[in-house]
Amino acid sequence: MARPRIEVLSRDEVEEIHLRSLNILNRVGVRIEHEEVLNMLRDIGAEVDLNKKIVRIPEHIVREALKRTPPIVRLYHRDGKNYVELYGWSTYFVVGSAAYYYIDWRTGEIRRPMTRDLADVAKLADALPNTHIMSTALVPADIPEIVADRWRMYVVLKRCSKPIDTGAFTIEGVPDAAKLMKAVVGEENVSRKPFMIFAICSSPPLKWSSLTVQNLMDCAKYGIPVHIIPMPQTGGTAPATLAGAVLQANAEFLSGVVIAQFTKPGTPIVYSGSPTVFDQRFATSCTGYIEVGLMSAAFSHLAKFYGVPSASYTMVSDAKTFDQQATLEPAFGALISVLSGINMAIGSGMMLEENGISLLKLVIDDDIAGSALRFAKGIQIDVETLADWLIEEVGPGGLFLKYRHTREWWRKEHFIPKLLDKKTTDTWKKSGSKTLDTVAREFIEKVLKEHSVEPLPPDIEKSLDNAMLEILKKHKVEKVPEI
Amino acid sequence: MSVKEELFKRLKEAVVNGDPEEVSKIAKKVVEVGIDPLEAVEKALVVGVLELGDKWVKGEAFIADVVAAADAMKVGLSILKNEIVKRGRSIKYLGRIVIGTVEGDIHDIGKSIVATLWEASGFEVIDLGVDVPPKRFVEAVKQYKPDVVGMSALLTTSMLKQRETIEAIKQAGLRDKVKIVIGGAPTTEEWAKEIGADGWAPDAFSAVQLIKRLFGIEG
Repeated sequence: MARPRIEVLSRDEVEEIHLRSLNILNRVGVRIEHEEVLNMLRDIGAEVDLNKKIVRIPEHIVREALKRTPPIVRLYHRDGKNYVELYGWSTYFVVGSAAYYYIDWRTGEIRRPMTRDLADVAKLADALPNTHIMSTALVPADIPEIVADRWRMYVVLKRCSKPIDTGAFTIEGVPDAAKLMKAVVGEENVSRKPFMIFAICSSPPLKWSSLTVQNLMDCAKYGIPVHIIPMPQTGGTAPATLAGAVLQANAEFLSGVVIAQFTKPGTPIVYSGSPTVFDQRFATSCTGYIEVGLMSAAFSHLAKFYGVPSASYTMVSDAKTFDQQATLEPAFGALISVLSGINMAIGSGMMLEENGISLLKLVIDDDIAGSALRFAKGIQIDVETLADWLIEEVGPGGLFLKYRHTREWWRKEHFIPKLLDKKTTDTWKKSGSKTLDTVAREFIEKVLKEHSVEPLPPDIEKSLDNAMLEILKKHKVEKVPEI
Repeated sequence: MSVKEELFKRLKEAVVNGDPEEVSKIAKKVVEVGIDPLEAVEKALVVGVLELGDKWVKGEAFIADVVAAADAMKVGLSILKNEIVKRGRSIKYLGRIVIGTVEGDIHDIGKSIVATLWEASGFEVIDLGVDVPPKRFVEAVKQYKPDVVGMSALLTTSMLKQRETIEAIKQAGLRDKVKIVIGGAPTTEEWAKEIGADGWAPDAFSAVQLIKRLFGIEG
């Protein structure tokens, strides 16, 4: 069986991008707004200009950092038993994170999200079979900004059993997250069985903010996995050429690896990316351009070259409402993700320049993900599947319906979408001539009503509540919304 | 076409084409021949950049073209300014704006694009850069006496600094001297009202309309 694959770069081209990245780090360097890191990098032999905060990183340091990076990253469910393994050509679909807006699935209104909306996203994601990793999807407006990053983790933890892609907006974000994790899985398992992965975004071109670097160092210290996310905008904060954007992003990724691995060797890192096309007509950062797929596939190839897992924001649509565009962009993205072996395909449910979450999109993305995953499995060829004996038995003009082989294999061979319509036209008319958005809305309603999330054991729930309460107290937040 | 008209036409075209070398060459020529430098600014440099800004708003030009035109204009300005000052005159802008990304935030691109589009709409824009602390904004208000202060924030955390900055301007007793506008991905109209800003723009396009509205210019 030939596994369907695409490769957008040749081996020589990957090597060239790698070598030119080393050259950029060595000659141009990166700007890091964090004195402790600047001193650390100077101590290990990098050339540091403390005034300009520019670090030029020699090749041998990068090579050493890469050697320290583990090849496999495991993300556990909060029960500490199930996990997804980020490695090889397996793709897992991830809900888009940290949206500032919510596209109400009942009304279509774009509005600020509330805590109960985040709880809905979590519950729905918990139920969706092809959405493997939840995220702290929304930034609720009904909790003070200063604790919003940790409040999101808490809400999602209560309402979803899957691993969580998250991030911190504050200096205390990571240490407090470690406390929440400790409350759930115990101190020794924060790094052994991590159920959260942190988004660490460089600021292109070639720049790291003090907050991001602090979050990265904290994750390294606690052994919490990170995905390092260069975000080149073609023609904005990166060259307009895809090769140039990938090259610059790769240099940024490598600089992040250096910071993490020299803070603590063995820090679990995923090579992530959020490449966008900077639309010159509207000054917008677009995620749904097909070139985003090309750059994402290139990142995946580079990640495999370095022997680290990969991720990219391939599922985000630029559509402003739930229309055809909102489904066709992630459909390209999903297929590109599985074919290029991106381990985390991020952005399910996400639209509006990574600023909005739509439940309608989330449930259809789950069908899209299922379809793409099926495609990636390819065609299984063996005696049983070739079924030449059966063809002989049925003979010319016969029917396959009554055979056991059919009953057994039809289900196995096909991905059966939950929402896409396959009925006869007449049946479709008789059942109300429903369009996809109506079907999706009904599905959401049903799941939110019927699905029950595996509850946390009472003692664990209590220790989690206490941990969150302490964080809220520290920030003098007294009133919190109901979940 | 007179020599002056000919030079102005070429100067404007060079701005529209985003060609700083050509702009520099012609601007020097303007000074050399003794043509009124203020007129060259008003009838060529500014006209060129306004034309491109307008084209972008209509969807007929790329933002990179506008940025190149604004940069080319600045090259011309730097050459002609001295000559204008020498003649005891000054350039008339539609207004003066101070802009910056607030403290704790190093996002540059949104702020820079808005700054350029405002320049391309006929305003004098003083760009304070990124990670600008409240007290630097206060100093800038004192120093440049702008009509408007613009603040960008791309993070939910740094957004809070917009409020702090407005408070700092208030405390310095300068709030009634300037209008304050804010923008950036996490900001909303409600947020702008809550912190007492005079205007909010969700994107670069709206930022152009906002500033024109504030100055009572048709847009």
